Amino acid sequence: MSDTPHRLRDRVKRRALAALTAATVAVLVVVFYYPVGTVLVEAVVVDGRLTLTVFADLLRDPFYLGEVARLFTGEGPVAVARALAAPDRRLGIVGFTAYQAVLSTILSVALGLPAAYVLARFEFPGRRTLRSVTILPFVLPSIMVAVGFVATFGRNGTLNAVLTAVGVPRVELMFTLEAILIAHAFYNAPLVARVTTAAWESVDASAVETARSLGAGPLRAFLDVVAPQLYPAVLTSAALTFVFTFGTFPIVLALGGFELATVEVFVYRLARDLQYAEAAALALVELAIALGVLFAYLRYEAATAVSARRVRPLPRKPLWPTAWTPRALAERAGIVTYAGIVAVVFLAPIVSMLLASVTTADGSLTLDHYRFLLTRQQTGAAFQVRPWPAVRNSVLFAGASALVALPMGVVVAVITTRASRGRSLVGAVAMAPFAVSGIVVGLGLLRGLVFGVEVAGWRIAVAGSAAIVAAHAVAGYPFVVRTVAPGLASLDASLVESARALGASRARALFDIELPLVWPGVVAGAAFAVAISMGEFTATVVLATGADAYTMPVAIERFIGRRLGPATAMGVVLLVVTGVSFLVIERLGGEVRDY
Amino acid sequence: MDDATTPARRHSRRRFLALSGTTGLAGLAGCSAERVDEGADGEGDESNGTDDAGGTNTTEETGDEQPTLTVATYGAFVDAPSVSPGAWLKDTFESRVDATVEWATPDNELNYYLERAASGASIDADLYVGLTTEDLVRADTELDADLFAEAGAIDGGDAVRDGLRFDPFGRAVPFDTGYVSLVYDGTEMTAPETFEGLLDDDHRGALIAQNPGSSSTGRSFLLHTIHRFGDGGDEGGYGGGGDETVEGADGDPDYDYLDYWADLQANDVRVLGSWEDAYTAWSNGEAPMVVSYSTDQVFAADAGEELERHQIRFLNDEAYATPEGMAVFADADEPALAREFMSFLLEPAVQGEIAKRNVAFPATTTAALPDEYASLAKEPATPVTFGYDDLQGSLDGWITDWERQVAGN
Repeated sequence: MSDTPHRLRDRVKRRALAALTAATVAVLVVVFYYPVGTVLVEAVVVDGRLTLTVFADLLRDPFYLGEVARLFTGEGPVAVARALAAPDRRLGIVGFTAYQAVLSTILSVALGLPAAYVLARFEFPGRRTLRSVTILPFVLPSIMVAVGFVATFGRNGTLNAVLTAVGVPRVELMFTLEAILIAHAFYNAPLVARVTTAAWESVDASAVETARSLGAGPLRAFLDVVAPQLYPAVLTSAALTFVFTFGTFPIVLALGGFELATVEVFVYRLARDLQYAEAAALALVELAIALGVLFAYLRYEAATAVSARRVRPLPRKPLWPTAWTPRALAERAGIVTYAGIVAVVFLAPIVSMLLASVTTADGSLTLDHYRFLLTRQQTGAAFQVRPWPAVRNSVLFAGASALVALPMGVVVAVITTRASRGRSLVGAVAMAPFAVSGIVVGLGLLRGLVFGVEVAGWRIAVAGSAAIVAAHAVAGYPFVVRTVAPGLASLDASLVESARALGASRARALFDIELPLVWPGVVAGAAFAVAISMGEFTATVVLATGADAYTMPVAIERFIGRRLGPATAMGVVLLVVTGVSFLVIERLGGEVRDY
Repeated sequence: MDDATTPARRHSRRRFLALSGTTGLAGLAGCSAERVDEGADGEGDESNGTDDAGGTNTTEETGDEQPTLTVATYGAFVDAPSVSPGAWLKDTFESRVDATVEWATPDNELNYYLERAASGASIDADLYVGLTTEDLVRADTELDADLFAEAGAIDGGDAVRDGLRFDPFGRAVPFDTGYVSLVYDGTEMTAPETFEGLLDDDHRGALIAQNPGSSSTGRSFLLHTIHRFGDGGDEGGYGGGGDETVEGADGDPDYDYLDYWADLQANDVRVLGSWEDAYTAWSNGEAPMVVSYSTDQVFAADAGEELERHQIRFLNDEAYATPEGMAVFADADEPALAREFMSFLLEPAVQGEIAKRNVAFPATTTAALPDEYASLAKEPATPVTFGYDDLQGSLDGWITDWERQVAGN
């Protein structure tokens, strides 16, 4: 009799992965694929009839596709290629969107990699804290970034004040492509830095030592041993940066202007004016390109996985070198230069935001904006948004959604790294929450969940806190996949095989052997899941309708008025709360475990 | 069908939703199940009379429960960081009428209700406050059934200024209006007096406007330029079908709004995404003029700012009027109470309060407003606006043509 619970537990353990997979699929279908499907289907079903005309019209429209549209009007690829090479080529909105996304990705990688190098290879006071808060920019609503950017890069901004002071000509950055690229780097270089740092910390020191003992110089050892283990992380973050900046929306019009409008601007306009067929068709084109990039990247990753057996992290160098060799000097000079760039691109906008929250219109210092938050908390009516519930909800949702996103991400990572066939395709589809237009997701959640579905004479609707947590988990879990999967793929399959031969269940092998080896990736994934949840707006505002489930980004939007003081004060609260959450995660996650 | 439309049934339906929202796992998951009832949301007979009595009957039947009036509106109407009329309206109305006012402020505003109706979900609100002409056109184009009921005879409805009535079918009743104009920094420049003046070399790069696809001030300014220069017919463009061509007030049939925008672009106009983007950039001195509201000085005075920096300019002495209306949902549970609320909003004292708290202009001729309000909130000599019939079938083409010209990548 007493063995029944044991047997049950065994069976549960054996089935744990299968059950987790089923739960993951269920959550994805209910809060993502089905809702999004209700919107995207409108591209091909108009007035209840299947049609491809909307799609065909879109593909033939040079306004959207530029010269490429001529492919769909019957011209040959050679003629189109020649037109694209011509100086007066037309990119179209889609082409321009891809173009600026490529530039944004290059800039983000260029600005992110040095940070990963410093964070992974050097030891200095505050290193862990710095690593924890790297991805803070990720949670900032675009209007906050716009405030910080205008104050930093504007005509009368900090940068121009400094340039004038040192006698250098002023720069006109606002309302240019450059301003958009810098803003995209502001958001995404931290992503590159964080993901690559996690990979760098997983590089096995003994492999490097072996290479060096065989006579390889430091550069050779880096290129042959370290770099191959970093490529997946760099490419992951580059692919994600492309996808995010390809779907960029409010920041482009805030800092660039309508001449630089991207695809999502038109998806928004068409959806707002209820032209759903056109909006859905455009969103599908957007999705196809984003998924195509992710798929190509995953194919590459599958083909180039490097095996590693065990991990002893590389020893860190002190920031202040023990001996000033020429190499150490050059390295430190590079770091100082990079720190200057970081100060301008990342710190100055955030500091400007902080200043905006404590200054009045005429520039004098004030605490009025924070006083507004207190007053609103004390006297706000029940139907108004108050700061404390927003903070509380944000923290609860972020914690809960990270707890949901972690197992979801790990399960999908295991499936996509171990499956032999179609893993890139499954992997790309699993990344869809990053690739689908945010406007389509919001509309889908409204239709699919808030309004509900009719089943056997009942209308089943889902909204409120649990739905928000699920939606946040779905929005964040691809990060867990991307930070965990490359590490899992590089693990030697024989590790799992021998564990299983010794009688361990698949789940036990995962928890006891694989996950500890890719732990930095798990912690990074958790931080991203929290960041996504803290900054999420679209799904929250849709699902919180009628419930007191609003979060900090919703409060910021509500507090935007003619003066941005109250909103920026709330933005600072968001930054502080998120920063503290990151510190907690990294402390809970601990450093890389030594073996 | 008849019994399904009685308020008692509807009340029990809502109560079931409330119950399922607070009990057990379903509550935790925020799930709700609602019996789909043929006819409950359908086009019932015009049973306002019985509903009227029913409203009070329900109260008696189900104990001492007050009727609840659910008023849908946009967020800033009840929850703006500076002032908003929501709380005052709720308290004042509740102190007079034995009812509870509940605000509903979905983020998608009216589109939320259009979506609900299109999806076959119940509307769950009685009244919408804050309708624009264009909202109404969109609702009528999108939905086969009527989303709103006719207002009928509303007490105080006669006092509404004629020029503001924008619904030819008598559903929406205007309760306030705003004017979209230029705001400029008088310490930096003097704004030109005409549209043509904006094309002067002196004003190169001096104006920040907004994208008509994502901002209502941007849309109003675009419409104003169409009103001024005409839409040039529909040759070649995406402009609405048929011959409905807006003739510009400039008297030149060969120069339309797209020509004007081409000249504006040549003079380096900035078109940003939202009013917030534009106003932030303007406040930081990126350009001395911005498209905004003619009530700007009310806020500036309130914040203790220099009025010289917040000058208003009405181009050609005109401004684009943006009247806001209110209308009863055809599916309202409390249509009589909703109409009572509408006439409450039109009372002279209430009109004055709305104007002050929503920082707008009253819709009635009888509104009680302090004289000093007019010294800060400016009204143009000639308000212009497009009516329902002008916008229907044309608006989308106008915007599409504009988009294709301005974002020509």
